[in-house]
Amino acid sequence: MGVYEELKAMVGEEAGPYEANDEVNRAMIRHWCEAMEDANPLYTDEAYAKTTEYGGIIAPPQMVQAYCVPRLWPPQNRPPDPLARSVAVANAAGYFGVVATTTTQEYFAPMRPGDRLSYKIKLVSVSEEKTTRMGTGFFITAEYTYTNQKGELVCRQPFTIMKFKPAAQK
Amino acid sequence: MTVKSRTWDTVKEGDELPVYERPVTRTTIIATAIASRDFTPVHHDHEAARKAGAKDIFLNILSTGGFIGKYLTDWSGPAGRLKKIEIKLGATVYPGDTVTHTGKVIKKYVVDNEHRVDVQYSLTVPMGPHAWGTATIALPK
Repeated sequence: MGVYEELKAMVGEEAGPYEANDEVNRAMIRHWCEAMEDANPLYTDEAYAKTTEYGGIIAPPQMVQAYCVPRLWPPQNRPPDPLARSVAVANAAGYFGVVATTTTQEYFAPMRPGDRLSYKIKLVSVSEEKTTRMGTGFFITAEYTYTNQKGELVCRQPFTIMKFKPAAQK
Repeated sequence: MTVKSRTWDTVKEGDELPVYERPVTRTTIIATAIASRDFTPVHHDHEAARKAGAKDIFLNILSTGGFIGKYLTDWSGPAGRLKKIEIKLGATVYPGDTVTHTGKVIKKYVVDNEHRVDVQYSLTVPMGPHAWGTATIALPK
């Protein structure tokens, strides 16, 4: 079986749910806003946020992934997810290069302090071999689905990488 | 506290968002990586970044999302609701770069009783476009 067929056969594989290490909380929200220089009062000003349809602060929606990054320590010893396994298959065939090309986040339920998030990851597509200025290889798309403790959809995020053999160096 | 937000009625297709420039330092790259809990060495360890083929540490993707969200809601005001952000990725953001944010309203429409606009945005560094795509935001009518 060629590497394309091997990758293609993995489409549809899913892993998770993986639980976030921290619940949504005001300190992490404020740290995010401080680093991004985001002064939106919906994220940090309880008095303002009380006047909105949420009745209190919410986390910046684009922060969703930050709650779900694997922690440094103690190790979580998860088996590699389908995206990691597809990367390993491509590496084994000599496609060592990797570059993230596109990601889209679509937002649904807000993230409120106290919410506990979890996510699943599914391999959704693999392109035929293509050549770009980076080199020759495959576009691999995985979709992350984030939900809260009530089972409500919070965010859907397809994420595409290219695994490639680098173009010959000049 | 009253905070002004932009209304859908006052926005026209073709409207341009004000240009915003964010100077990026080593501190910016490390602070944003850690605030997004991304400890991948290329975002804080110069030697690891060099070994990975980059000239220096560089901004992580979560922070690109953070920059875009800030740019959009700075324009809309806090009543704007982020619905969707598409990010196409190009040039890397290095310490010393200034990220120039631009955007334009390309579509105005109503769906699910929400008054939405699509904004085509771009974040550019001296080496070229860093991130671009279409973002959807709902505004008060």
